[in-house]
Amino acid sequence: MINFIGKRLFWLLITMWAVFTVSFILMRSVPGGPFDREKAVAPEIKRNLERRYNLDKPVLVQYGLELQRVFLHGDLGHCMNIADASVNYVIRQGLPISAALGILAMTFAVSFGVLTGVVAAAMRGSPLDIGLRLAATAGIALPNFVVAGICILLFVFWIPLLPAAGWGSLSQLVLPAFCLGAPYAAEVARITRTSMLDALSHDYIRTARAKGVSRTRVVLVHGLRNSLLPVVSFLGPAVAGILTGSLIVEQIFGIPGLGVYFVKSALQRDYTLSMGVVLLYTLVLYTMNFLVDLSYAYLDPRVELE
Amino acid sequence: MRLEGRSLFPWIAGAAILCSIGWALNRGQLPPADFTFVNGTEVKSLDPAIVTGQPENRMINALFEGLTSWNPETLVPEPGVAERWDVSDDLLTYTFHLRKDAKWSDGSPVTAHDFIYSMRRFLDPRTAAEYSYQAWYVKNAKKYSGGGRAVRPGDNVEVELNVDPDGVNSIRGKLVRGKLVSIEDKAGKELTDDNLIRAAADAALNIEDWTFVIATEAGEERFRNADDASAASNEPAEGERFARQILLDLHDVGMRVVDDHTIEFQLENPTPYFLTLLGFYPLFPVQQKCVETFGSPQWTDVENIVCNGPFKPEFRRLRDRTRVVKNEHYWNRDNVKLNSVDFLAVESSTTALNLYLTGEVDWIYDVPAAALRTLLAEQPPRDDINPVPLLNTYFYLLNVTRKPFDDVRVRKALSMAIDREELTEEFLGAGEIPTYSLVPPGLPGYAPPQCPQENVVEARRLLAEAGFPGGRGFPTLEILYNTHEQHQSIAQLIRDQWRNNLGVKVRTRNEEWATFNSSQRQLNFDVSRRGWIGDYADPNTFLDMFVSGGENNCTGWGDAEYDKLIAAAAVEPDPAKRLDLLHQAETILMDEQPIIPFYNYVSKNMVKPNIRGFYNNIQDTHPLSALWIDAEEETPNPFMEGRE
Repeated sequence: MINFIGKRLFWLLITMWAVFTVSFILMRSVPGGPFDREKAVAPEIKRNLERRYNLDKPVLVQYGLELQRVFLHGDLGHCMNIADASVNYVIRQGLPISAALGILAMTFAVSFGVLTGVVAAAMRGSPLDIGLRLAATAGIALPNFVVAGICILLFVFWIPLLPAAGWGSLSQLVLPAFCLGAPYAAEVARITRTSMLDALSHDYIRTARAKGVSRTRVVLVHGLRNSLLPVVSFLGPAVAGILTGSLIVEQIFGIPGLGVYFVKSALQRDYTLSMGVVLLYTLVLYTMNFLVDLSYAYLDPRVELE
Repeated sequence: MRLEGRSLFPWIAGAAILCSIGWALNRGQLPPADFTFVNGTEVKSLDPAIVTGQPENRMINALFEGLTSWNPETLVPEPGVAERWDVSDDLLTYTFHLRKDAKWSDGSPVTAHDFIYSMRRFLDPRTAAEYSYQAWYVKNAKKYSGGGRAVRPGDNVEVELNVDPDGVNSIRGKLVRGKLVSIEDKAGKELTDDNLIRAAADAALNIEDWTFVIATEAGEERFRNADDASAASNEPAEGERFARQILLDLHDVGMRVVDDHTIEFQLENPTPYFLTLLGFYPLFPVQQKCVETFGSPQWTDVENIVCNGPFKPEFRRLRDRTRVVKNEHYWNRDNVKLNSVDFLAVESSTTALNLYLTGEVDWIYDVPAAALRTLLAEQPPRDDINPVPLLNTYFYLLNVTRKPFDDVRVRKALSMAIDREELTEEFLGAGEIPTYSLVPPGLPGYAPPQCPQENVVEARRLLAEAGFPGGRGFPTLEILYNTHEQHQSIAQLIRDQWRNNLGVKVRTRNEEWATFNSSQRQLNFDVSRRGWIGDYADPNTFLDMFVSGGENNCTGWGDAEYDKLIAAAAVEPDPAKRLDLLHQAETILMDEQPIIPFYNYVSKNMVKPNIRGFYNNIQDTHPLSALWIDAEEETPNPFMEGRE
C-alpha cells in the first residue's frame, strides 16, 4: 500500500513536470505575446512589462526560473492580465466555487443517473426504459449551452422561479448545477444500465432468485454492487473535469469559478495563469484517478494494489 | 476493515455535499446596492496608471478624480480637483489652482505634490503604463518615459540607483543627477548621432548592454542598467556603477509645483484637448503614502487603497462583484446621490441581458446584436433603449506593401464596390451609420471629407484600368478578422459583394485576438478588419494613426504631405486653422484610401427608466457620480431624447 502510494507520488511529479514543459513550449511558440496590444505599446514600456515577468531573458533561463518558482516554492507567479492578483490568489478565489458547484452537479448526476440506470435495467424493454434511454441520449447529445438556454427560457422567463445568473444563494445554484450535471447524469445512467444488465445476467443472480430473495433486493444489493465498478472508473476523470469548472456553464450563469480561465488565459497569452490552471487540472485529474484506483480495492476485494 | 472503509463512502459524500452547499452560501445575501450594473470583464487593476479598457474606465472614474472632470452630458471638461485654471496666450502654459477642500479617502488633503508624484509615476517606464502617451503632450514627457533609450549626450539626466530587491517595490532609489556625456554600446564603442538614434529605436535593444558616461558632482562616472536583484548579487565591472534606470532629469519635464495648491504644466505644442485629457482616467492621481507603504500592486487591495473620487471600494470579489460606497471625504459628496454601486463582472452580453430583463441590474452597456433588433422593433417602443452614434469607426485596412493593393485604383475599386447600406440596414440593424470617412461625424467644427460612394460601374472600370478587367488575373484576396461572430458575418458579406461586383476571388481568414494583433502589426494580411475608438473628442485621435511608420498605421502606407499636415496641425495654435489642416490631411487619406471605412458604431445601453443623470454622448461615458434614482419617474428622462 505505502509502496503503491509512493510510486504514484513519484509519477505525479514526473507528470507535472512533463505537463509543465509541454505547456511552457506550446505557450511560447504560438504567435503573439501577453503584452501585444491592438494599439502599439512604446518599446521601453513593453520592455519593462516583459522584465517584470522575466520575459526579456533567454527562453531557457525563463524555463529554469519558472520551474524553480513553481516546483520549489509552490508559487505560480503573478497574473499577466489581472495585474492586481497572483495566480495562487485567483485559484484560491475560483476553485472553491467551481468545486462547490461541481460537487452538487456530480451528486445530482450520480444519484439521478444511477437511479434511472437501475430502473431502466430492471424494467428492460418497457416504455419507461425506452423513455429513459431516449432522455439519456438527448442528455449526452445536447451541448451544455443548449440545455442552459432552454432551462433559462423555461424557469427564468416563462415560469419566473429562478434567477438568471449569479452566485451566493440556493436558488442561484439550481440551474447551473442541473445544466452542469445533466450530461454526466445521462452518461452515468447509460453506464449503470449496461453494467446492471450484464450483472443481472450472471448465474449468481439466478441462484439468489431461486433461493427466494426478493426482486428488489436482488437488483439493489447483488446487482448494483457488482455493476458500480464501471461507473466509478468513469467518475474519476469526470470529477476532475467538473471540479475545475466549466467554461460554458460558468459564463452563461455568471459564476466566478475557474472554468473560464482555461480558455481565456490561453487566448490572452497569460502565460502564468494558463500554466497555473493547467497544472491544477493535472493535479486534480491525477488525484482523482488515484482515488479511483484506491476505491477499486474497497469495492472489489479481488483487486490488489501494486 | 474493508467493510468499514466501504461504509465510510456515503458519509464522505454526504459531508462533501454539505460543505459545498455551505461554501456556496457562505458569502450570504447582501443587501442590494442603490445601483447595480454590468461592467464587462473583471478590471485589470484599480491602479489608474496601468489600465486601458472600458470596464477599467468606469471603475477608475468612480474611485478617483483628476484635475478636470467631464460633464456627464456634454463631456466638456469642468473643474475637478482644480477649481480654476489659467492658460497663457501662447496656449503652452497651464496653471491649475487646486481646491483646498479636496481630500483623499483617509481624510488627508489632495495637493499639487500628489499630482506631480502621480504624473511622474505614470511616465516612469518602470511603472510600465501602456497609456503613457496620453501625457506626452507635456514638454519632454515623452523623453522622460523613454528612459535610457530617449536620452542623448548633453541632456541633464537623473540616475536612479538600485535598491534592496526585497524592499517595497514602489519606492524609488536614490537619485544622482548629472549631464550625459556619452553612451557606449556593448562593444564599448561610443554611439553618436544616427547610430544612436537607430540603436535606440531597436525594439530588441537590451538597455543593460549600454554604458552611460555621466558628469556628476563626483566627476565623470560610468553607469550601467541592472535590475535590483542582479545589482545586489553581482559586482559592477571595474570603474562602473549599477543603476536601476537612467532617465531625463525630471526638472526638465514641463510640470512643477508652484505651491501646495498650484501646479504648472508646460506643453510641447498647443493642445486643444489638454483639459479633456486631464479628466481622462490614466492621469488621475494616486496617493504617494499609500503606494509606497504597501508597494505595487498590493496598494490596490481594498483594505489598503486610498482614493480621491466620489466612491471608494468596499469589497472586490474577482470576476463576481465589486461594491463601491460613497466616499465621505469627497469634496462634492453632497451632489453624489448614490450611496453604493455594484459593478458586476459579467462577460457574456446574453447573460447581462438576462440579468437586466429580470430586473437584477439597472444598466447594461451591450446587447447582443440579434436581441437588439427585436428589442428595437417592440411596440410600443421600449423606454429604456436608445442607440446613438459613437466616436468609433469600423474599417478595413489594405496592406499597400503587397501587390496589387499598392495601386490606388485597386484600393478605390474595392471601396466603391461595397454596399454599406446593405451592411448597416439589413445586417447590423441597430442604427449604425454608413461612413465614407475615417473620422466619425459629430465633432464640433469638423465635417469629415468623404471618399467616393458606391459605384460599381466606376469600380469595374478602375479595376480594368489597373490591369484586371472583370477581375481576371487578380490574385485571391484574403480578408483577415479576429474571431467574433459579427466580424465573421461582415467579412462574408463583403466577400460576396466583392465577388459579385468585381469578379475577384476572395476568401476569409480568422485568427484569435493575440495572433490577429501580431499579424496586423507584421503586415501579414491583404485586407484586415479594424475598429478604432477615439481616445478624446478630436479628429487627431484618428488621423495621427496614419502618419508614415506610425505604430498603429498597420497598412504600410505613408505620404509626406500627409505627415507634414499632421505635424503642422500639432503646433497650430489657432483652432479653426488647425481643424482645416486636419481636414486637408484626411482629404489625402480618403483620396489614397489605404483604408475602407464602413460604419460608425452605435451605443447599446439599456438603462432602467427610473435612472436620471444618464445621458447619451459620443464617447459612451457615463459618470456614476452624476446618477440618481427618480423612483416615481416624474422628471423627463434625458437618455430617451431623440428616440421616436
